[in-house]
Amino acid sequence: MIRTGATNAASQIVVDAVSHVYRPPRGREVLALQEVSLEVKSREFIALLGPSGCGKSTLLYLIGGFLPTRDGSIRVDGKPVAGPGPDRGIVFQHFALFPWKTVRANILYGLEKLGLPRAEREERARSFIELVGLRGFEDSYPSQLSGGMKQRTAIARTLAIDPEILLMDEPFGALDAQTRSLMQSELLAIWERSRKTVLFVTHDVQEAVYLAERVVVMSARPGRVKAIVDTNFDRSDPQVFKSKMFIEKVDEIWGLVRAEALAYEAMQKESR
Amino acid sequence: MKAAFIRYLPLVLLGLLWEIAPRVGLVSTLALPPLSDVLKAWLRLLEGGDLWSNAAASLYRAGAGLLLSIVIGGALGIVMAWWRPVHVVMSPLVELLYPMPKSALIPVTALWLGFGDGSKILLIFLGCMLPVTLGAYNGARGSDQALVWSARSMGASRLRTLWDVVVPSALPELLNGARTALALSFVLLVSSELIVSRKGFGYLIGFLGEGGVYDAMFAVVLTVAFLGFVADRIYQRLMKRVLQWQE
Amino acid sequence: MSRGASNGASAVRALLGALGLGMAGWISILVLVAAWEGVARSGLVTPFMLPAPSVVLDRVWTDAASGDLLNNLGLTLYRALTGFAIAAAGGIALGVLIARNRAVRWFFDPLISIGFPMPKIAFLPIVVLWFGFHDVSKITMVVFDAIFPVVTATIAGTQAIERELLWSARNLGANERQLLREIVLPAALPQILTGLQVALPIALIVCIVAEMTMGGVGLGGAMITAARFADSPGVFAGITEIAVAGYCIVKGMERLRRRLLVWHQEALAPPTV
Repeated sequence: MIRTGATNAASQIVVDAVSHVYRPPRGREVLALQEVSLEVKSREFIALLGPSGCGKSTLLYLIGGFLPTRDGSIRVDGKPVAGPGPDRGIVFQHFALFPWKTVRANILYGLEKLGLPRAEREERARSFIELVGLRGFEDSYPSQLSGGMKQRTAIARTLAIDPEILLMDEPFGALDAQTRSLMQSELLAIWERSRKTVLFVTHDVQEAVYLAERVVVMSARPGRVKAIVDTNFDRSDPQVFKSKMFIEKVDEIWGLVRAEALAYEAMQKESR
Repeated sequence: MKAAFIRYLPLVLLGLLWEIAPRVGLVSTLALPPLSDVLKAWLRLLEGGDLWSNAAASLYRAGAGLLLSIVIGGALGIVMAWWRPVHVVMSPLVELLYPMPKSALIPVTALWLGFGDGSKILLIFLGCMLPVTLGAYNGARGSDQALVWSARSMGASRLRTLWDVVVPSALPELLNGARTALALSFVLLVSSELIVSRKGFGYLIGFLGEGGVYDAMFAVVLTVAFLGFVADRIYQRLMKRVLQWQE
Repeated sequence: MSRGASNGASAVRALLGALGLGMAGWISILVLVAAWEGVARSGLVTPFMLPAPSVVLDRVWTDAASGDLLNNLGLTLYRALTGFAIAAAGGIALGVLIARNRAVRWFFDPLISIGFPMPKIAFLPIVVLWFGFHDVSKITMVVFDAIFPVVTATIAGTQAIERELLWSARNLGANERQLLREIVLPAALPQILTGLQVALPIALIVCIVAEMTMGGVGLGGAMITAARFADSPGVFAGITEIAVAGYCIVKGMERLRRRLLVWHQEALAPPTV
């Protein structure tokens, strides 16, 4: 099944010439992003791809409102981003689960903040636990779960508040290869069912090509948008990873990324 | 230089407050003599010789007790880690005595040895032994098995290995325990001198307090507090020097 | 072994385990106590120097029966625990404030850095000068001493919270106050509890010393009075009572920590022994 373009033609997220300077507590400041511009349509699945230090996570955090936008502007649904909020749900690489809460309590947290009545909260939590396949583990603590299960909890927690936009910061980066590919298919399946706008940060080219409709390739630091490659093709084919089109896309993008990765390495050596 | 000034500026401000508040009548000068009066009293004590003689007594007691506690406590901890029978006998005792407030030993040492130096030295020795023993024990337990085996395979006897490998391995944690003991020694010293002594810092503080000479009393209190702080800082430097080989 | 007897044995074992030492540990203690009794009776030391455990325990019993024990112990515990509670609440609040606010941090940093290694007990005569010989002085002294480890532990715990945790909470809709109460405090709890576990024995020590200095009622005061009257069994009885009280409190705190931190992946108690 080929995904058709977004039903809503207007852009939901507009990033306009955004630059960001990172000021470490000690040492010199660093230009993380330079004049990045990007438009994301509603219900699109976008991947942000690039070498380490290219600022892709920084861009995500700016869109999420966790870092202030000082240079340039970011608008979501026409309004400038003023801070974090439940309209842009975030999932982190290291899960960021509240370790003192059970799986269920973690998922309930955002629902409580939404002010939903008790019965509805419980029901929603239950259905999302079911959705990510964690039935039977509701009363476990994160320390008792495997990496994959923790990430499922984190995803369920964010999905439960039904955000329009999903920001994912290398969510499968901390998982082993097998769990990772499992989670990728599951994420796509979930996305098929309830279309959200997804911004997916990764450094894995295959992952980006598989999951996203468009892949935004970023340059080495300071991060700029190097290229945007269209990767919208039929994913229902289980052999898609071996299909000619897929392999060609991966090659094309890998070529773009590789040049940046080498540039980054050269930069590291220089600064030594 | 500037960074150090900014860092300690709050203390300077508090010092100013201390000087001004009693003088403008915010607090009674009896309860809080102005800082300058305290400093003057301190100089008087210094000249008069009272401060020196009492300081000497206190430092002698604390030093002797601490030294004994470190040497014997350290040895005990290492032996406990090395020889199982000793561990079996001593460890429940250690576990029971750890939560006991060491200040409870003040009356008993006074009972045994009276009001003089002996009771204080014994008190500090007994009270400070525990942190050192624990540090030495944990440190010795943690000594790398590979190091021990290497030494043995090169022909070292058990005793030799103990001295050459286990003791240095235990040193960092032992010294950390000794740092706790250092702070504790000051506490036990001052406490016992406040209650059951005829000379020393604690005694001097009490004596001045009863005599109503509050500015001098404040001066001695600050002296002791400051000495405790300085001792800790010096000790940290020493520790760093001794443990230079640690990364 | 009949079922009743084996149930009895496992019950004893469970009780001993609950008391914190294994069977071997308690046997060792018993042996030491027996040795103590032997030495005391042998004539090697005078009964003044080392009263026999039987004499000491008898004294503890008399104190308990007459109500003196409860009186003294109760008062000491009241003062120490009140001071501890104030130090805990105040210390945690101050610690969180220091961790999250630069100006506050600047002001308190040298105070803490210098104050920590100072023998704060030296300030007792000043506290007495200001507040007299009542409970207030003792409790104030306890707070002064016990607040330091609580503050430093709270600062460390609060600063160590990974920012993604805070971001997630804000993402899910938490406001500043909710963030503090629902996220910051629970996340910093392991380290805060460590600080409290260090502060508790300190509270007891300081309280006892204060009582000894000021005299009067309370375990410390009773012990010093006994010493002054050369009442050797009284002094040893006091030591036993305090030792047991201290032990129970520390063990109780350990259990509380395990219960509160059941979710913690380390679930390690801080080094007490």
